[in-house]
Amino acid sequence: MLVVSDLRVAYGRIEVVHGISFEAKVGEVTCLIGPNGAGKSTTLWALAGILRPTGGRLQFDGRDIAGLPTHEIVQSGLSLVPENRLVFPNLSVLENLHMGAYQRLHADKAGVAADVERMLAYFPRLRERANQEAGTMSGGEQQMLAVARALMARPQMLMLDEPSLGLAPMVVAEIFEIIGTLNEDGVSILLVEQNVQWALTFAHRVVVLDLGTVAFDGDPEEFARSDVVHEAYLGRKSLEERP
Amino acid sequence: MQILIDVVQNFLDGIMVGSSYALLGLGFSLTFGVMRRVNLAYGSTILIGVFAGSTLLRLMPGQPILALLITIGMTVVAGIYVERLCFRAIPQEAALASMVSSFAIWMQLDEFVIQSPWSQTYAYPFPSPFDLGSLEFGPFAARIDYLLMWFSALAVMLALWWIVYGTGFGRSMRAVSNNIDGARMLGLNVNKINFRAFLLASVIGGLAGYLIAVSQEQVTPHLGLWATIKGLITMIIGGMGSIPGAIVGGLLLGIAEIQAGWFLGAEYRELVAYLLLFAFLIFRPGGLFGRTGGDGIGTDAQRV
Repeated sequence: MLVVSDLRVAYGRIEVVHGISFEAKVGEVTCLIGPNGAGKSTTLWALAGILRPTGGRLQFDGRDIAGLPTHEIVQSGLSLVPENRLVFPNLSVLENLHMGAYQRLHADKAGVAADVERMLAYFPRLRERANQEAGTMSGGEQQMLAVARALMARPQMLMLDEPSLGLAPMVVAEIFEIIGTLNEDGVSILLVEQNVQWALTFAHRVVVLDLGTVAFDGDPEEFARSDVVHEAYLGRKSLEERP
Repeated sequence: MQILIDVVQNFLDGIMVGSSYALLGLGFSLTFGVMRRVNLAYGSTILIGVFAGSTLLRLMPGQPILALLITIGMTVVAGIYVERLCFRAIPQEAALASMVSSFAIWMQLDEFVIQSPWSQTYAYPFPSPFDLGSLEFGPFAARIDYLLMWFSALAVMLALWWIVYGTGFGRSMRAVSNNIDGARMLGLNVNKINFRAFLLASVIGGLAGYLIAVSQEQVTPHLGLWATIKGLITMIIGGMGSIPGAIVGGLLLGIAEIQAGWFLGAEYRELVAYLLLFAFLIFRPGGLFGRTGGDGIGTDAQRV
């Protein structure tokens, strides 16, 4: 569904992604993991149309998306839940959700209303806070709102950038359960996570990035067996020592 | 007792004057709130509008509605010119570059008005369509044209409030103002929203210019500088980017000026405006309703 070929991304003259290639297949959960500075968020931003790649091809559902503006990429069915949530703090939960379906707001009022209902059913805590300003909610609730908002665009593939960042373990468990349910319901997932253990419980495929290149690309069992990967990932030998 | 009457009368006059300041502050705050930029050419675009209105009234006297439309229309045209040149053409990260270029355009527009072949004298008459005297109640008096100005300004403020908090467009503006990257990610066309916010600010500016010109019955090219200063002071004391702040700040500025002018002398009126600004900058730099910043991708060092 998503094919990344030789992607290069640079900030000014500093190239941070040096020609990576991987595939995220339809219906699967693909995990992009790697240490800080590996280029994971940069890759997601290039896919989401926030950054313009300096080289390579990005294809989603057969369509070239490299360099397209974000709203067109969202329209093609690819949505991003960014790191740090980026909900609109001064808008209410409901307003945030409506903004998620921005492109359909006038054309499909009934559909949008139905989707809002669906989101509130998926995330009961949001229903309790429907008219509350998003900025006043806890980190976990904001994360749920960010996911719900991205889902309002009815994406075929959802990209999540470190959804567990800054959240308490119980909340992380809830978030990942939701991600799992979404995948079962047919949404393909591209997940960037530093929390490797959680990521591996769902992943169908693991891609490891290290300093802008692909250090590993395979399924979770191979990953668990591989030593080279542990070294690339902060040089640690044991998976148990993960924070 | 007389002092009390004076204070209340000044309060009333101050609110009238302050309502035009509030409108100017609203224009600046709207642009700053949505685009995170200060449009330094705002006052001059209003000057262009009022100048056009004055020219119209010279060519076709006795057409107040048409003069209003022309004033607003030409302010909008000048506003589009500024937006395209200073804000759209310059990339997001170069905040300072766009504000400096708006400063340059401010100078350009002012010069254009002074040097233009249509300007005959240094002051452009702007005859008032109303000559209604004043309303007197007890020891107080209120000029009726000032009252009309106040009610129009009030109507504009209420309309703006409704637009920002009650419509989809307003919601989009608030989303962009909160978090421009988040808004882009959801497919909002930020350029279009910025442009429309700019247009809205220009319409408000044109209306403010018309009301001010009518109450003064003439305009000089100083209006550009004057409107910019009053608007910026209002925006700063009200809280940059805040709509209620611009309203309260403008009224506060107007009241302070009139009280000072009455009790201390006309020359102190301007001084008090700057003293008020200074006091706020020292004791409450965020302004009365200082807005909180939103999150964004990357550090806030990228934003102004």
